[in-house]
Amino acid sequence: MFHEKDMTTDELEQLLAQQPVAVLHRLARGRVQRHFRAGKRRLIELLLQHSSQNRAGFESDLLTLIGERQAPSPSGASRNPGTPPIAHKRVAIRSSDLEPSEPPISLSEWLQGIGVPTPQPFVQDPWQIEALAAVSETDVVISVPTGSGKTYVAIEAAGRAMADNRSVIYTSPLKALSNTKYAEFSKIFGADKVGILTGDRQENGQAPLLVMTTEILRNLLYDAASGEIDVRLDTLGLVILDESQYLADPERGVVWEETIIFCPSQARLLLLSASIGNPQDIADWLTSIRATPCRLVRHSKRTVPLRAGYLHPNGRLTPLFRTLGIPQGHPGHLHPEAKHLFIEYEEETLPSGRPRR
Amino acid sequence: MPPSIHPVDLISALRQKHLTPAIVFLTSRRACDEAMEAFDHANCVLPTTRQEAIAKALEQVMARHPSIAEHPLISIVQRIGVAAHHAGHLPTWKIAIEELMRQGHLDAVFATTTLAAGVDFPARTVVITQSSIRKSRDFTDLTAGEVQQIAGRAGRRGKDHVGFAVITPSPYIDLSVLTKGLTGQPEAIDSQFTISYPMVLNLLKAHPHEHIQGILAKSFAQFQLNQRADVLEQKLDALHIKMEPFGPRVCTDWITQWHTFDHARRHRHTRHPTYRAEPPEISARLPFLTPGRVVGFSRGRGIVLRQYRSKGQRNSMLTVLRPENAVTECPVTSVKELYDHIYDCPETSAYPWCSTDTFDRLSHQLDELPLRLPLLPILVSSNSEPLPDAIVQSLEDFSCPTCPSRSACQKDFLTASRLRQEQQRHTKSIQALRTSLWHRFQERVEVLQKFGYLTLTTQLTAEGEWARLIRIDHSLLITELIRAEAFTGADPSLLAGILASLAHDDDRPGAFPRISPGLSSLLGQVRKLAESLSPYEDPPLLRADVAALVERWVADQTITWIGLCRLTTMAEGDIYRLLARSLEYLSQVQTLKGTHPGLAESASQAITAIRRGVLEELP
Repeated sequence: MFHEKDMTTDELEQLLAQQPVAVLHRLARGRVQRHFRAGKRRLIELLLQHSSQNRAGFESDLLTLIGERQAPSPSGASRNPGTPPIAHKRVAIRSSDLEPSEPPISLSEWLQGIGVPTPQPFVQDPWQIEALAAVSETDVVISVPTGSGKTYVAIEAAGRAMADNRSVIYTSPLKALSNTKYAEFSKIFGADKVGILTGDRQENGQAPLLVMTTEILRNLLYDAASGEIDVRLDTLGLVILDESQYLADPERGVVWEETIIFCPSQARLLLLSASIGNPQDIADWLTSIRATPCRLVRHSKRTVPLRAGYLHPNGRLTPLFRTLGIPQGHPGHLHPEAKHLFIEYEEETLPSGRPRR
Repeated sequence: MPPSIHPVDLISALRQKHLTPAIVFLTSRRACDEAMEAFDHANCVLPTTRQEAIAKALEQVMARHPSIAEHPLISIVQRIGVAAHHAGHLPTWKIAIEELMRQGHLDAVFATTTLAAGVDFPARTVVITQSSIRKSRDFTDLTAGEVQQIAGRAGRRGKDHVGFAVITPSPYIDLSVLTKGLTGQPEAIDSQFTISYPMVLNLLKAHPHEHIQGILAKSFAQFQLNQRADVLEQKLDALHIKMEPFGPRVCTDWITQWHTFDHARRHRHTRHPTYRAEPPEISARLPFLTPGRVVGFSRGRGIVLRQYRSKGQRNSMLTVLRPENAVTECPVTSVKELYDHIYDCPETSAYPWCSTDTFDRLSHQLDELPLRLPLLPILVSSNSEPLPDAIVQSLEDFSCPTCPSRSACQKDFLTASRLRQEQQRHTKSIQALRTSLWHRFQERVEVLQKFGYLTLTTQLTAEGEWARLIRIDHSLLITELIRAEAFTGADPSLLAGILASLAHDDDRPGAFPRISPGLSSLLGQVRKLAESLSPYEDPPLLRADVAALVERWVADQTITWIGLCRLTTMAEGDIYRLLARSLEYLSQVQTLKGTHPGLAESASQAITAIRRGVLEELP
């Protein structure tokens, strides 16, 4: 590349302006302090200022980054090993990857159907039926999107276990959530049937359904293992761990593992989790350490369908994707208008040239 | 950075298309507050009927949580119908906002992404203005899981047919991160299993040492490590198949054999047998003439700086530090006496063969040497002939030159040795993957033995018995502090202050000018101990300002919540969390009733003192 050497400042500025902001931030890493605070225009100014110190190095870095972006290559994988390869599949927004032939939907179609549905009698979803049937026999891992009705399964399962004269423990990661659930369960099952144990609150500790934070349950299990306290662990029939995706929490994830490892074998485990990438791994793990094989119940369909839109700073709203719903697995299927507006937005934040009105 | 569209325009655009109520996710707490102020400035006043509805709903919440009655934001929220919701607010205030939103009284809530992971709090629309979030001082791109967590707030079950996720750009947004996040699969989760000191103590309390490895093997961490090991095992099997053509030849281990032969062949000419005619009593001394050794000459004494061989000399040479900072070179034969006295003297590569500091120290020490020094007894073996080097073989010892498979060996050596190295590497990593948890456990056990919480037979000592009840971060520091009796006779407020500084792991700046001398000196002790424990446990931040804040709240029972908030620049929500975490730590100390009654009593007094006002309302 011969022009590499005699690139003028103007040319460099233009080249920078053509790049998406992500590339500029990558470039600014280690060069410009607090670069994430800067907008595109300011970022280019800062980069140009900085480049006066080591122009050649800066330009070669820029060209490699551009090259990488155009041709996603294994060199990207070797740069930061350890992260899953999914992160490196860089799909450029402007790439025309197999766009469907049917015309993109219009805004009015996209906006159709807003409103409050008429109240409908509650019907169990098939996955809820499946999960409830499974939880009476074995351990169950549930991985479904937010708001699909995991709580319903928890309540039903707890009710059935209690009807069977087995006690139930329900844990959540946050104290606030525990308090909410305590109030909710008390309403459903009656105040005498529900107790709560948190760091500094102990109410109705002998109730058949106990709400607590996961840390408290872990401590109970440790104390029971060393024979110190007698929390009727032998009559424990069901342990519900809500928000089990906390297993991956850097600080607290270990508590979920300890709880699951030390959970008494006669008690069923019910793990409720938001959508995660590898629920099968969790189920396989439970199968490998528990007495009965674990059942995985998962689905990714939202109860209330989702549509994505793009709102331009001038107040114009368009659909974000060509299709009405979310085109799963096709991030490139952008609505032409959204694409156009976003490119315009990026250009408006150019360093040179005034914003077009 | 706030989005490019003005918040008022944003909400009015959404309202026009009937896309409210909405949750607008912003990068920072400040951006949320500023968006709310922008509404206030723009004088967007709600119709009176809606204002009254909000007032009524708020009254219901106030009945349960009276602390929000005087909240300064009430009138603003009532007037404009939007609110900010972030971790800087009190939990009670957040509950009030959530309740208003649930009942549909608000048009929009400006929130940080912490909301996405918190309570159940949906809206018709979520607005995403960013593609990255602040994680420990740096901004990182949102993961697919996080984007979906945010988008998951859109669409209320039973209240909406459809949910909307609207993206509006801010200056540093990367659209592809968001489109990929919306359309992609959430990331796989990884185990974050760590072995903490209390975990070791509790495990050893309940299970014999030999069972522990089996228990650790049940962790998700080990499950995932095994998955990786299995992948390597497969690779190893493939390598075994590749290695088959390079199996045993004339000699069983031909690769090593060829390697040695090849090496010997290449280095044939450089290998000279060295003969040095040194009398046995001299060569016996050589290993002792190391840097730092005090030696005696016919006149005066010196300290050896280095030993070396010089081409011009028959004997080994020494560089010696003599009195008055003289550095002299002399053959080992001139050394008359070797003393049983050695100084620490790390060798460096250039004159004067040690660092300047060491040199100054040594010359000082040389002047201070006592007159009589014990001699070093050196055993001179009569049979001083150096043993013939067993490893050195002459080329004639190899059968390779005449071996029938020589040409094949020569040809295959590079491939075969590369394959074998790979094999060895994989075997090693498999070994490491299968046993790493156990090794980490053993490391922890050794530290606990060193500090006397475990006996050498891994039984809990009396100290270990109570230490295992402290199941929080920085447990080693806390138990060591208790053992050092740092808290003996300490006021409940001091105890609470110290535990607060241990518990608070947020580095958002705060300011608190006054700290009592007692707390300040105690905190100094804690810092010192934390530093000395740093090889075994990461030291906590130990911020003096938060310690002082909690001390004040405990010691001064007349101070109100508002008064406390005025003392610092910390946000209300942060102060609340600080106190709540201090409570958690105190309640752990309180469990030591049996062994440390005084301390437990002090902790329980502190707990009662903390739990008043706002902290009493939310159990």
